[in-house]
Amino acid sequence: MAFYEQHIHPKPTTFLSKYIFSYDHKVIGKQFLWYGILFLLVGGLMALMIRWTLAYPGQAFPIIGHFLFPETGGAVPPDTYAMLFTMHGTIMIFYAITPILIGAFGNFCIPLMLGARDMAFPLLNMLSFHLAALSGLILMASLFTPLGAAAGGWTSYPTLSTLIGSPGVGQTLWSLAIFVLGVSSTMGAVNYITTIITLRAPGMGYFDMPLTIWGLGLTAVLNAIFLPVLGAGVLLLIFDRVFGTTFFLAGAAATTGTGDPVLFQHVFWIFGHPEVYILILPAWGIVSDQLSFFARKPAFGAKATALSMTSITVLSTLVYGHHMFTTQMSPLLTQTFMTLTMTISIPSAIFFANWLGTIWKGSIRFHSPMLFSLGVVFVFGLGGLTGLYLGTVTTDLYLHDTYFVVGHFHYTMAASVLLGGFAATYFWMPKMFGTIMNEFWAKVHFWITMMGLNGVFFGMMLVGYGGMHRRIYNPFIYEFTQKLIPINTFTTWAAIVMGLAQIIFVINFVHAVFFKKEQASDNPWEVGTLEWTIPSPAPHYNFKDIPVVKCGPHEFGNPNLSGGKDYQYQTEELA
Amino acid sequence: MSGTMVNQELKQDPAKARLSSSIAMIMALISFSMLFATLMLGYFAFRFTSEVWPPLGMERISLGIPTASTVVILLSSLLYLCFESKVSQKSLKSGRFYFTATFVLGCTFMIIQTLLWSKLKELGIFTGTSVFASMLYAFTWIHAAHVAGGIIALLFLIPTVSGTREHEASLSWVQNVGQYWHFLGIVWVIMYFSLFVF
Repeated sequence: MAFYEQHIHPKPTTFLSKYIFSYDHKVIGKQFLWYGILFLLVGGLMALMIRWTLAYPGQAFPIIGHFLFPETGGAVPPDTYAMLFTMHGTIMIFYAITPILIGAFGNFCIPLMLGARDMAFPLLNMLSFHLAALSGLILMASLFTPLGAAAGGWTSYPTLSTLIGSPGVGQTLWSLAIFVLGVSSTMGAVNYITTIITLRAPGMGYFDMPLTIWGLGLTAVLNAIFLPVLGAGVLLLIFDRVFGTTFFLAGAAATTGTGDPVLFQHVFWIFGHPEVYILILPAWGIVSDQLSFFARKPAFGAKATALSMTSITVLSTLVYGHHMFTTQMSPLLTQTFMTLTMTISIPSAIFFANWLGTIWKGSIRFHSPMLFSLGVVFVFGLGGLTGLYLGTVTTDLYLHDTYFVVGHFHYTMAASVLLGGFAATYFWMPKMFGTIMNEFWAKVHFWITMMGLNGVFFGMMLVGYGGMHRRIYNPFIYEFTQKLIPINTFTTWAAIVMGLAQIIFVINFVHAVFFKKEQASDNPWEVGTLEWTIPSPAPHYNFKDIPVVKCGPHEFGNPNLSGGKDYQYQTEELA
Repeated sequence: MSGTMVNQELKQDPAKARLSSSIAMIMALISFSMLFATLMLGYFAFRFTSEVWPPLGMERISLGIPTASTVVILLSSLLYLCFESKVSQKSLKSGRFYFTATFVLGCTFMIIQTLLWSKLKELGIFTGTSVFASMLYAFTWIHAAHVAGGIIALLFLIPTVSGTREHEASLSWVQNVGQYWHFLGIVWVIMYFSLFVF
């Protein structure tokens, strides 16, 4: 329930106040969306360079290769390859997925779906975006430093990331960028949590919130708790690199007086495992809502879904050790972490079954957001199941550091989140920009993306199962991997197809935002959550009068509904 | 379409707005706690897996300067509590004294910390001397950076002590800055006992 009524901001009149220094959560959401899409394109291009190198080692990268790598005749050099996979991972996780799912849709949806006029702290919200922008600039600047960008992988394990492994300033800038971004995301998380607790519309209990808000709220909790852990880790890494401290230099403290590289791995994964859920929880929430909206049925077991997501959030904090089975961990600990990891399957299975229960016998409308949501159900199922092999000690010892791991986490973190992000973008487009994207091209985009990403990520798992290790510039110097060249070539072409499909999205998106004349209706998808009770695009004040909530977000098919509607607004009270 | 309804009961309520900022401050303090907890995790990992501590025959640091820091920061917390009490009683005149004393003690703490770093250098203990030396420097730097932030936050209370801010808003500011200030005191006490005493 709302603690207080917010003022209505005066309408911004200048370009700066409207687009650069805006306090409006919707504008900040759009800023994060553009920011995320920009980095998605940069990270995607890097992915294509990585894939090209794996399919055609030593051959020039098409079109721009000669311009980027003239000294090698256009082929990606080995040191650049290490920078590419490091920066690709970093950019996609922290600068593309995080801003789009959490920054853009967190900002845009939380106040609108709660019936609030803005976030609890609009100034903090604006500063959060500006810090993220600063962080992005620092990261991109590192590409142009004398020895190049960070090259120690997105995990930046010492000693690869200490001055011994990465002598240039690039790794220092990487660490600084991550620290600044961590501060930005923590500020956002504090704002999201406070908004959810204090600014829910009158009548809206926690279980009356859409599941999108549950996902975003739980993500914010994980962000607030675990980003500072990574912050501490990268801060000490910066100290090691700049001030000569010895936290992560090899050697036992008692014998040489220096630090321990494995300590960083602990710190990284205490944050890193919850990070997986930080990324996926918003997508789960969005999909949980949209399956109900487009199946025209109440979300099956909505409370159980919310509680399952909460259980996973709690469990995600206890399982990080499964990333470190190969670090000579005590067998007792490996078994403990394995058991805890397996317990995550229980709540996961509950909400996955709820998803299936929601669409079971529904009057499904296969609009583009629904297609992408169904895509998430498929790829997350596949990604989740393959995770069992990596959470089990015996199989992980074989699969660790192979492309199987890369395929698995791309299915869960990349495919699921990317498809969830597209579902959200197509769905909230009318409320964000006042227009709707072309449905035909949206569906073409979906099918090509879906085929492409399965080709890429399943191909990765196959070669990984065949023994191909990750992060190797040319894995085919080993005889046993040479038989994997055709699968790698197939994977690369699947990636190229997937990459080209995004051009369809970009054109569709840009056309809808800047050129489309036809305005979307206030509620084109015919759903009852609060944001669809106001005009499209949402006015700067959101709600002239604060709405009073009478029912949950997934009310469909009530026989007392009138006017040919099959959905009930959350502000509607039926007899 | 149902439209929205005006909720007559939902009025501007400063006390509830204060609660909102208090929730945010608690979340922020949880985040800060995790930062320092991670640092302490690293410390204890080294401390309890090491046969000899401090390592490499390093001498223990004399307790004089750290104890002075501890006394000063605890005293500043105590005086801040008095300041909070005076503000809630709308007794700004005596509140100004406690505020000024808190501010001065905060600055004094920073000066003592610079003395500590000078002393470490005098003893030949530099950042790279050993992991223990690294911790002494890094932890005290990070804590000092937060104290510097706290001193800046104290400056935001000037409108309160000068009487130009509304009482309800003042209560909110004083409460939130106070929570942060006391938190820094608690963190220092933990650091004092773990890094210097035991």
